Amino acid sequence: MNSATQQQSNTQFDSEATQNAGATNTRETKQTTGKQLVAIIFILAMATKMFLLPIFLIQATGRDGYIILSVYGAFDLITLIPMLIAIRICDVDIFELLSSVLGRVGAKIAVVFIWLFLLFKLNTAVSEILTFYGTNVLSDFNTSMMLIVLLAFLAATGAHTLRALSRLNEILVPVIVLCLAVLVAIVIMTGFDLCNIFPAVADKKGFSDALVKHPAWVGDFTPLLLFIGRTKTKKHTWCFAAGSGVIGTTVAVFFAIALSAAFGNVPTYVDASTNISNILQFSVGNVYGRLDMFSSILWSVSVFIEAALFFYATCRCASFVVGKPAHLVISLCTCVIVYVVQVFALTDPMIFSVAVTSKLCAIATPILAAVLPLLALVCAVVYNTKHKKPSAEEEQNAGE
Amino acid sequence: MEAAQKILDKFSTPDIVFVHELKCGKTSGALIVHHDLSNATAARAVIYALEHCAEKLEKLEDFCRYALLEYDVIVTTDIADCTNKLLSGDMLLCIEGEDRYVIIDARMYTTRGITEPPTETVMRGPREGFIEDLKTNLSLLERRLKTPDFAVEHMEIGRRSNTSVALCYISSIADQKVIKNVKKRLSKIDIDGITDSHYLVHYIEEKPLSLFNQVGISEKPDIVAAKLLEGRVAIIVDGTPMVVTVPFVLVEEFQSGEDYYQRSAYGTFIRLLRYAGLILALLLPGLYVALQNFHYALIPVRFMVTLMTAIKGLPLSPLAEMVFVILLFEIIREASVRMPRAVGMAMSIVGALVLGETAVNAGIISSPAVMVTALSSIALFTVPSMIGPMSVLRIAFTVIGGLCGLFGLILAVLFTLHYVCSLNAYDAPYLAPFAPLVYSDFKDAIERGPISAMKKRPRSIPNSNPTRQA
Repeated sequence: MNSATQQQSNTQFDSEATQNAGATNTRETKQTTGKQLVAIIFILAMATKMFLLPIFLIQATGRDGYIILSVYGAFDLITLIPMLIAIRICDVDIFELLSSVLGRVGAKIAVVFIWLFLLFKLNTAVSEILTFYGTNVLSDFNTSMMLIVLLAFLAATGAHTLRALSRLNEILVPVIVLCLAVLVAIVIMTGFDLCNIFPAVADKKGFSDALVKHPAWVGDFTPLLLFIGRTKTKKHTWCFAAGSGVIGTTVAVFFAIALSAAFGNVPTYVDASTNISNILQFSVGNVYGRLDMFSSILWSVSVFIEAALFFYATCRCASFVVGKPAHLVISLCTCVIVYVVQVFALTDPMIFSVAVTSKLCAIATPILAAVLPLLALVCAVVYNTKHKKPSAEEEQNAGE
Repeated sequence: MEAAQKILDKFSTPDIVFVHELKCGKTSGALIVHHDLSNATAARAVIYALEHCAEKLEKLEDFCRYALLEYDVIVTTDIADCTNKLLSGDMLLCIEGEDRYVIIDARMYTTRGITEPPTETVMRGPREGFIEDLKTNLSLLERRLKTPDFAVEHMEIGRRSNTSVALCYISSIADQKVIKNVKKRLSKIDIDGITDSHYLVHYIEEKPLSLFNQVGISEKPDIVAAKLLEGRVAIIVDGTPMVVTVPFVLVEEFQSGEDYYQRSAYGTFIRLLRYAGLILALLLPGLYVALQNFHYALIPVRFMVTLMTAIKGLPLSPLAEMVFVILLFEIIREASVRMPRAVGMAMSIVGALVLGETAVNAGIISSPAVMVTALSSIALFTVPSMIGPMSVLRIAFTVIGGLCGLFGLILAVLFTLHYVCSLNAYDAPYLAPFAPLVYSDFKDAIERGPISAMKKRPRSIPNSNPTRQA
């Protein structure tokens, strides 16, 4: 037998099982693969942007909702660039990176901000899920009970590894893509009148108001901070990652356009308190029968995945700040926080709507969504400069 | 003789062995033989050989070299080892003035013949199955793997049972880390006795409390040989036909030895049926209850009318009804398995016809519920090795579907999938080649590609030689 062949070994999963020496308390030994990163970017790009945001935008600005969604999508794609560069150039995880560049205290302060932002995004996603299922699919079901079931799943994801979550996402992406294909096919086959989305930006004030009120939905790529230093990538992973972000955003915009064409001129028809027969108001695909309704429900798995990613990232940030590696305890504590926020603060979809469109959210969210990836990139550059390997010439000079 | 007495002192009932004192060469000795486990013919031959050996022989080595030439012998001073070997059926030779013993291989157990295993019957392909004898089982493997790289490492597990265990692998294919890991886990076992390979499973699994099988178990030498050729390690335990293999991934549950003896297109079709069967078995009752309880709009109108007619006047809620029917089925199945075959048949008839039909006629349960459970149960049998864990999951999914609708059902599936994604068995991702995605392994996952196309060993299974064929 060929000796060269014999020397080879299956290193496929080396990327998922690597070093842990000198790791911080939040660092896990397992890593994710480039394919998993690409799949996660696709989900993050389209999940919550396709869920309730189009409804809120149509309610606020009518047929121009899709333009605002496109702006948010573009904003997120821009923030994806520094994030991907940071993932590419950095070999240590975000916590070690921040600790190395900002010092232990500085890192903790930075992580507190990341934690707050992620917690906000997590609560937004959870509220959306509860609104969607609570007021439509399970209208006669106790919301707080539903929340407990959801939190049980989230707690499990928080207590396990990023590797498990990435694999879960990887295995579900084909199902989600299939559901999207069904919905797209139904939308295209049954047709919608694109004339309904014109003239664009007729009400400039309403448009600008809606634009500045809804940026709570930007910053969807923030959980990717956790992928820094933990993703084994190949040469073209970056092209695929950026491409999947663009495709995900395009899909979200496509459905927003379809929804705007269907309901943009009659925004009062769109609300969050209809029965299951009117579930169509949450996605244009639902208009056309049971298959699309079923596909929509299955598609909503992507929102669960996005919520799980936010939950996981929130837990790991909390672990770093508190300095405790017990992931299950941190997960349960995070569950308690989310439960309290959902049950006692965001008691009603209207309150949720008011909260996410408040001035604080409108200002803080886009700032943090832009700053956090930049911070990661700057820290990665500084870290690499500090830990730069000496060139051969420098080594020779040092030797002399 | 003092040396023989030392051995006899170890037994609470020394009658289970007999001591034959003999004159051999210039000296005298004693042969200790187990009454039940040793080969009497071999004992007689050894006694004859020793008593008729050359008169000049005196040293223990000389007896081994000349008188016991045709036997497998081990010289030792370890009394515990001697006792264990004696209890395994070997004979012990003690020589006057020597503190060493000669262990002579003379084991003879009554074993059954090699037959087709009842758990893995096939229409095509080899019909040989492992039996309870370790040596026979090893020979069945060795006959299929005639390579000097086929390695067998023997060990004994169980403080009191001293059960012989053989660790088999192909040294040029299996991953050394996996072998080391398995050996480490086996060597750590400190139990008084093992009676079957399933005892070891709990020690070698990464998560013993898990609902999912994390080791492969087979009764067929052709399947185990094929797994060894993919880089796995096999553990054979004396006294059981069940051979354990690691690493193990979930897709193995959907593979059958017969797949490889069929046309590849048909093999692929059968595999797809198994996947579909498992999904149907797991989710159908939960989906039925969820739709009936919460999502009527998803049920087609005509079917809804039929359903309404069938469930009209039922005293039980859809969830209670479905759980009742599933439990009824599980009870009948369990009773049928435990009963003698003739009674089992009668039990099935009573269960299916009398209980099912009478309950429907009496208006306690509805025919759609019986049909859904029957369909789900038949689908479950497409993957026989997963019947146990999937039966439990099916009930859990039904309850969650009934309580929380599609929302709960989707979350329960996600929860289960996430758990399965977190499993890793000896560096082999449990859900590979689906997560992480390994395209090259798809040839033997959903698809049963042509053997000629499987040029590489599965990348999901750690191995040190990925090339299977040129």
